[in-house]
Amino acid sequence: MGAPKEPLWRRYLRFFGPDVEADVDEELRFHLDMKERDYLARGLSPEEARAEAIRKFGDLDRHRRQLRRQDSRRLRRDRWSERVDGWGQDLRFALRTLWRQRGFSLAVIATLSLGIGATTAIFSAVDAALLRPLPFPHPAELVELRAIEVPFREEAGQEEHPSGVTIRDVGALGGLFSGVGAYAVGGLNLSGTGNPIRTRVGVVTTGLLPTLGVRPAFGRHFHPEEGTPGQAAVALISHGLWRRQFGGDSALPRSILLNGLTYQVVGVMPPEFTFPERVDLWIPLTVPMTPETFEPFRGAILKTVVARLAPSATLDAARDRMRLLWGKLPAEARDEYRALLADPVRPLQGSLVGNRRGPMLILLGATGLLLLIACVNATNLLLAHAATRERELAVRAVLGASRGRLVRQLLAQSLVLSVAGAMGGLALAAGTLRAVQGLLPKEMLDIASPHLDLRLLVFAIGLAGITGIGFGLWPALGATRTDAHGAMKSGGGHGATAARRGRLRRTLVTTELALALMLLAGAGLMLKSFVILLDTNPGFEPERVAALQVVLDGSRALSNANRVAAVNAIAERLRGVPGIEAAGAVNDLPMTDQVRMSIRVDAEGKPSGEGAEPKFARWLMASEGYFRALGIPLIRGRLMRETDDSLAPKIAVINQTMAKIIWPGEDPIGKRFKSGGRGEFRTVVGIVRDVRERMDQRPDPHTYFPIGEFTPQDVTIVARGALAGPDLLAALRLAVRETDPTQAVYNARTLTDAMSRSLAPRRSTTLLITAFGLLALLLALVGVYGVVSYTVTLRQRELGIRAALGASRNNLARLVLTEGATVALLGIAIGLMGAFGLSRVLRGLLYGVEPTDPTALFAAAAVLLIPAILATLIPARRAASADPVEVMRSE
Amino acid sequence: MSEKVDVLRGTLDLLILKALSWGPAHGYSVAEWIERVTEDTLQIEEGSLYPALHRLDERGLIEAEWGLSGNNRRAKYYALTVAGRQALKAESATWSRYAKAVFAALSAPAALKPARA
Repeated sequence: MGAPKEPLWRRYLRFFGPDVEADVDEELRFHLDMKERDYLARGLSPEEARAEAIRKFGDLDRHRRQLRRQDSRRLRRDRWSERVDGWGQDLRFALRTLWRQRGFSLAVIATLSLGIGATTAIFSAVDAALLRPLPFPHPAELVELRAIEVPFREEAGQEEHPSGVTIRDVGALGGLFSGVGAYAVGGLNLSGTGNPIRTRVGVVTTGLLPTLGVRPAFGRHFHPEEGTPGQAAVALISHGLWRRQFGGDSALPRSILLNGLTYQVVGVMPPEFTFPERVDLWIPLTVPMTPETFEPFRGAILKTVVARLAPSATLDAARDRMRLLWGKLPAEARDEYRALLADPVRPLQGSLVGNRRGPMLILLGATGLLLLIACVNATNLLLAHAATRERELAVRAVLGASRGRLVRQLLAQSLVLSVAGAMGGLALAAGTLRAVQGLLPKEMLDIASPHLDLRLLVFAIGLAGITGIGFGLWPALGATRTDAHGAMKSGGGHGATAARRGRLRRTLVTTELALALMLLAGAGLMLKSFVILLDTNPGFEPERVAALQVVLDGSRALSNANRVAAVNAIAERLRGVPGIEAAGAVNDLPMTDQVRMSIRVDAEGKPSGEGAEPKFARWLMASEGYFRALGIPLIRGRLMRETDDSLAPKIAVINQTMAKIIWPGEDPIGKRFKSGGRGEFRTVVGIVRDVRERMDQRPDPHTYFPIGEFTPQDVTIVARGALAGPDLLAALRLAVRETDPTQAVYNARTLTDAMSRSLAPRRSTTLLITAFGLLALLLALVGVYGVVSYTVTLRQRELGIRAALGASRNNLARLVLTEGATVALLGIAIGLMGAFGLSRVLRGLLYGVEPTDPTALFAAAAVLLIPAILATLIPARRAASADPVEVMRSE
Repeated sequence: MSEKVDVLRGTLDLLILKALSWGPAHGYSVAEWIERVTEDTLQIEEGSLYPALHRLDERGLIEAEWGLSGNNRRAKYYALTVAGRQALKAESATWSRYAKAVFAALSAPAALKPARA
């Protein structure tokens, strides 16, 4: 009985590796056939012979199964180890090659490190602020409700105002929100536990922390009834304060003194929790608020109302519902909130990030451009590198290396480079993380501070992988596409491949230049904005002025009269200090991040109420000395005097903008206005020059009431003097201490410091964009130099022939320069178009400059063009010195 | 006691190596050789020979190659590698020592009283 023949086609299948099952079958069949033949020879019948052979073999099926299993396992293992060996080989080969060409490797790694580092650092900030969810359960449900009031009442039994939609109305809605709360951030003097310190205080409704979904680490939460006026004073403290101030003693409740009043600490919050804005203490915000509520604030209280959407509710439903609530109110109640009602409900995270979102996204975009340039540059370097290895690759292809293998080796090389680049980038990002923190709004810093975490690592590795494969594959394919025969014959560097590669590299460099120009244009515009800002007159003279804040507590806080007397005493003493020219008091300094309060201005004889556009003015309380100390000139009329106290007729000083807006074309002196339709009329007695609250904000209308009429607890004392900054501050401190040795002071600073601090975020954004622009410039120059000098190498022969035919050195140099200039100009032209296209994006960051400002764009073009031409000069000189004899000989 | 002895696994490996020490052979002739030289004393299921061969191949003691048999059929031939030859030497020595020891024990004269510690 003959064995079934193996079909012929099976053998071809073996090209793709051994066929385990067929091999096992064949081997066993051979054995059985031989055995069968044996038995036949011994005279058994064919049937008996077959049966005996199989019997002798044992359990055929079991053995066959075992063999198949054994062999396939082995095959898999072999293949795997072969592959690992291959990878290991490629990797070792790549490392050896790269080590041999350290200069080239370093250039690529540095390029990638810069790109990846910058992107990673900025991404960490963006990630912290925009991407990472707030550290509360179900953070997406948290929203900010705007245009919602917390009611206020002066005394028990009195009427509450305002009459708008209040947090109580929201709480009564039911269904839509699963929780609602409000908070405001203020400051209080903490004593009774060692040295008195100033603490940041979160004043929160009892609903806030449950709405956020946090509970105390130990102790208890506020009871709901503690959120109504007239209850025993209670407080929660942060884990940090508990450790620092209480030494981690967990005995609760215990009492502390806040601004001289006793509070019972009933709980300690978990570590990390310092919402909002890094506070150390939480006390209840009562509903309704009472005059006591204002204790931690400086006359103004800025409340944020937070709600948690019920799982079934949507943002749109909440918006509609809020508008519906407002729709039930009379039109005049709605007036003040018109702007807010356009968008009454916002996601909490978005509203915390606020206006930093734009700059951060622009920075991220800028780093994206930088990364793109870095990748283009790396591709370019690898292409140039591939060109020098063309011949080696061709030889290896001829010797039988498969194309796949060659591509794999080149890829291994670029992967090694990009992993090294990623490592460098991460190190760079870690080093610059501190600088990046300045970009975050302070509200976000503790909720989500940027740090290098695992996700960032993944981000960097991902970037490296994509760039590695992206910029590695292209040159790799290009290099191995080389016609081996041609490359061997010509010695490389000539022919169609080289020309194609030259075109590719020119395109890459043009792209690089265009991208670099876009960054440089952005940097130019930002720098110009910054210079304009520095030149802007803030409306006062900040030199030689210092300020500090005091919080009057104890008996001095008790009545307005006491406070007025205390502030007057400090100013009086200061004026007696030799070298101090002027001293005064105010509730709010310009150039600080303080909450400012506005009042509604209803001018006598002007239309007000329904239909009329309501007008607002910043509300400040100041003494005459404040204007003198800051050098704010009086334009007309008079300033307030010490006799303008609470008993005197009510007066106000206004600024130019307010005069223009409320009494256009009239003389405001002697005119009268009321605030919010309440109280008595107030007479305007003087006009002062506009003062900017922030350098990049146009002046608002301001009205100054005499601080002698009403003095808040928290006052800023200012002094101008011929003393150096520190001496001036020391004199200020001394004067305060001499009037009352127990008085705590804080926020002592000179006004020039305050100004520079107020510009800090813009400065860091500008610096970063400028740094990115310069890096891009550097990378682009490397690219230009590389491509032009490559062309020179490529055309060595042609240049030699030209020289032999009598071309002058100038002719040759011009030939090369023209090439460089063409690439540069083309790149700049495309870049300018790109900059125009992006101009709208940048508008929000600029001050006093149009995004298409010709000087800035022209400067950017010049900054790019001139070094680009210089970069082509070096290869041009080499071209000019082309020696015909040398060239001919080298062929 | 049966006349045939179940062969231990290590012993089978050793026998295969010995069979191949004369030169490359396919599985069938290895089986035949073992049967012949042991005069059929050892009870070897022919089927278990192949997993042993493949295992030795995997361990690198022998190597397999497809070739043509005497009657012009494709057959898998096994040959001893250098490592295999060394293993054979070492194993044979161990086996001889072992056999000698067991034999000495079995042919020891009288039973001695175990010494007390």
